[in-house]
Amino acid sequence: MRPYTFASVRSVGEALGQARDGSAYLAGGTTLVDLMKLEVVTPAHVVDITAVPLRGIRADATGLFIGATERMADVAGHDLVAGPYPMLAEALRQSASPQIRNMATIGGNLLQRTRCGYFRDPATACNKRSPGSGCPAVGGHNRSHAILGTSDACVATHPSDMAVALIALDARLSLRGTDGERTLRLADFYRLPGSTPHLENELRPGELITGVTVPALSWARTSVYLKVRDRQSYEFALCSAAVAVNVTNGVIGEARVAAGGVGAKPWRLPGVERALKGRPMRLQTFEAAVAHAADGARPLSHNAFKPALLCRTIIRALVHLAG
Amino acid sequence: MDRIDARAKVTGTAKYSSDHNLPEMAYGYMVTSTIGKGQITSMDLSMARAAGGVIEIYTPDNRLSFPGTMPALGGVFAETRHPFADREVHYYGQVVALVVGETIEQARDAAALIKVTYVAQPPKSSFEDAKQNPADPPSIPGLPLGEVIEKPVGVDIEAALAASEIRVEETYDVPPRHHMMMEPHAAVAAWQAGELTIFSGTQGPAAHALEVATVLGVQPADVHVVSPYVGGAFGGKAFTWAPTLLAAAASRALGRPVKVVTSREQLFTVTGHRAASSQTFGLGADRDGRLKAIKHHTTSQSLVEDPGYRTTAKFYATPNVHIKLSITPDMNLPAATIMRAPGDEAGSFALESAMDELAVALGMDPIELRMTNYLQGTLIEGKPYSSKHLDECYQVGAERFGWSRRRAQPGTVIDGDWRIGMGMSTAILDSGRAPTAVRVTFRPNGTATVACATSDAGTGMWTIMALIGAGALNIPVNRIKPALGDSRLPLVGSNDMYGAVGSAATSTVTPAILVAAQEAVDELVQHATTAEGSPLFGATGVRYDGGRLVGAGTSVDFGELLTRTRTSEVGAQGTTAAADDSHAYASYAAHFCEVKVNRWTGEPRLSRFTTVVDAGAILNAKTARNQITGGVLFGLAAAMFEEGKVEGATGRISNANFADYVLPVNADTVPIDVHFLDYPDTRLSPTGARGIGELGTVGAAAAFANAVYNATGKRIRTLPITPDKLLT
Repeated sequence: MRPYTFASVRSVGEALGQARDGSAYLAGGTTLVDLMKLEVVTPAHVVDITAVPLRGIRADATGLFIGATERMADVAGHDLVAGPYPMLAEALRQSASPQIRNMATIGGNLLQRTRCGYFRDPATACNKRSPGSGCPAVGGHNRSHAILGTSDACVATHPSDMAVALIALDARLSLRGTDGERTLRLADFYRLPGSTPHLENELRPGELITGVTVPALSWARTSVYLKVRDRQSYEFALCSAAVAVNVTNGVIGEARVAAGGVGAKPWRLPGVERALKGRPMRLQTFEAAVAHAADGARPLSHNAFKPALLCRTIIRALVHLAG
Repeated sequence: MDRIDARAKVTGTAKYSSDHNLPEMAYGYMVTSTIGKGQITSMDLSMARAAGGVIEIYTPDNRLSFPGTMPALGGVFAETRHPFADREVHYYGQVVALVVGETIEQARDAAALIKVTYVAQPPKSSFEDAKQNPADPPSIPGLPLGEVIEKPVGVDIEAALAASEIRVEETYDVPPRHHMMMEPHAAVAAWQAGELTIFSGTQGPAAHALEVATVLGVQPADVHVVSPYVGGAFGGKAFTWAPTLLAAAASRALGRPVKVVTSREQLFTVTGHRAASSQTFGLGADRDGRLKAIKHHTTSQSLVEDPGYRTTAKFYATPNVHIKLSITPDMNLPAATIMRAPGDEAGSFALESAMDELAVALGMDPIELRMTNYLQGTLIEGKPYSSKHLDECYQVGAERFGWSRRRAQPGTVIDGDWRIGMGMSTAILDSGRAPTAVRVTFRPNGTATVACATSDAGTGMWTIMALIGAGALNIPVNRIKPALGDSRLPLVGSNDMYGAVGSAATSTVTPAILVAAQEAVDELVQHATTAEGSPLFGATGVRYDGGRLVGAGTSVDFGELLTRTRTSEVGAQGTTAAADDSHAYASYAAHFCEVKVNRWTGEPRLSRFTTVVDAGAILNAKTARNQITGGVLFGLAAAMFEEGKVEGATGRISNANFADYVLPVNADTVPIDVHFLDYPDTRLSPTGARGIGELGTVGAAAAFANAVYNATGKRIRTLPITPDKLLT
């Protein structure tokens, strides 16, 4: 860990006033402190925002609002989340470990960095950590890496489970910067790596995530987050699926489908959603709908199984919802 | 009985090596290489030296003194090249510098500022490549590993296989595996008047002292190893590794105590690991299932991992056998060492998978196949086993588990989205006991000390020594004070100095406790009749009874006796010889495993496990069960998750941390049904106990793999068995 200066702030205004080149906001610290210890990130100035009033879980007719510094565990267990949005609660519950979920915040979760082993090891090259240095993951150990949205410069997977559910739910972010407040669809927030994998999102310098809004979606009660991994806790997804369906008389009216563990960002699958729409809620529909789910996938030397796993994870989620 | 050390451990009062903090202590932090092979051309220490609190930086150009060579078995099972020997880099993650600072933070901070420049060469780090060109292993005098085993001499095994009616020949691959005990290697070293006291977790305090002393060029008597609590070892702390040597040498050089703690990442490379192996099994049988030939050819990184010697010669009867080890020498990889059930874990996975494949080929029940080839004595010498009830293990296990409900046809049992399968395997582990010494001492406070230079790495030895001591002296267990984990405690020689290895600690130490207790009682009786102040002074016919000395119409507790005679201690040392070699000794178990495999996404999940164990007398059911449960899970972890992933091009271990090196968590386990047959093996020792520590591990992976086959029809011969291998 490199030396840094530290400030603790009590308001968004104070936080923005402390932000500068090379500064980082500290909330739960589960990503930032970890990466500082590894010297993957070396902020010169750390701004503790845990005392900034960015809490609150509220719902009204338009939807659900979650404050940015709410803890993952508190959100997962909240009645306004677990009942109406099972896939969001499940995504949170299947993330990390209880200890981490007790600390990590919603805003921080959306900004967590990839679990790529090369990104996390300063002894190796990484275009995300050190732009232009190269990507050893392309020819290296890449079983856990992405197959969708990747580039020759970066094949890292977006690590968040929660973001997969939020993408499926069309969530919006509230952001505050020195220019004022703005909102942004989460789907528009993340960037694909292209030739600039170090630029991961649309956050402007110093800008702070203040909250997340989930538009009301009554049929999200019929949803599931399904996570496939080697061990059953404390591991990132090999593949995951957030799926919601609106079924009337055995016919799918609408569907929401997004996947994790396979994309350079949380991966919405509109083609699968369209293919489900208007079809009977049964296995043949599911199998036909996922036929093109992995179109455009670029499997790597150690993850050739991922396109098939993606399709099967979605089918399994749909089978689960079909009961 | 509960562990007597449990409260101290869970309340944090038990002091492990790195918990010791001494006045004036400095902190060492290791810097490791970031190439797999090459030379260090320069090291820029300027920024590190300028950082605050740096006392000294040791490098190949500013060496610590290691004048001696690693002695005895350490020369085979540990790293023989000392830190900073030269500027050569032999593997990724090799120690290239030690920064000593006033605080751990300062040492670690300065270490990060060191810039090392290398000339790198392509490393020989890919076992997949290297195994294509294996070599014969070295011959180490006195060590049977690596020797060709054949029966009859000069057997043409290929001809014997070809002549068999049913044949199975397959190759089974096991990746490198790391001990990953909870407590990383750590040492606190302090010199005073030419004598070293070192707190360093070890399985064998005396061997540790000998190794440290020899490498540092001092007398073994001048090194005092203190290691009462060890946070897991699994063979990884049987020998001495760089962190301990560095702490000892830096402390000597600086004239102040030095603590060195290994980071989790460093643990993968600066200490030993289980070498990868690739095993080809050829099994030939007649149509009745009688084995006609067994070929077991292994290629491994190291002589240390010899599955053929460890496993195949003790499992099944056959007239023709050929066992051979080849190695891939001079690889640019960290040193291999023993790891829980060395050779046995990999060997039993391959052999018991191959037997399952043979059962399929024969259309025979796997238990029936094993009973058809039941071994009554050792395969090569024909020496009878001391006490073998493996047949009963199969029978009782099959009943407890519900083996009769298994369908031979794979993939036929479905529960919702899950395919259910059952598999079984055999576990056999050599048992034995070393000659050793125990000292039993009565004290005026009414307690008795039972002391031996053995170790408790979480195995329960503290409790066993208290329990057996209490039984031998016939006093309550809370009056026994065990002493272990100290190189200055009694031992007799070259074998017992290695302490808790080979699952032999209980069978070695407990008979010596009985001998020492008897001799100590004789001393006490003598004392009671001859010591001034004794109420039994001059009496005849005095006897010891449950902590009291009885005679002349009176009796006195030994504590009161010693108080009255103003004597601080009365005791004796008892020694035992090795077990006689008229018989062979082994522990046995039959494992039964049920898995479910998701029909869509392929995750294999453990759903049930039963093991029936024949390990002699069970001295403490609670810790014994704990050992078996832990051992089984250890073996299942190899089946399900664990793999040290080495990048062939660089030699870097890409998952060298606790998040990416996948160990099982509680969610991955089920309650494991452990049943002990509990037949005392009185040929082995008067206490009748045999080894259990490694037994659960043996065969566990095969039981899992065989269950996966039964669930899916897929035979996975490369561990670990991950979901991607089972996607259909």
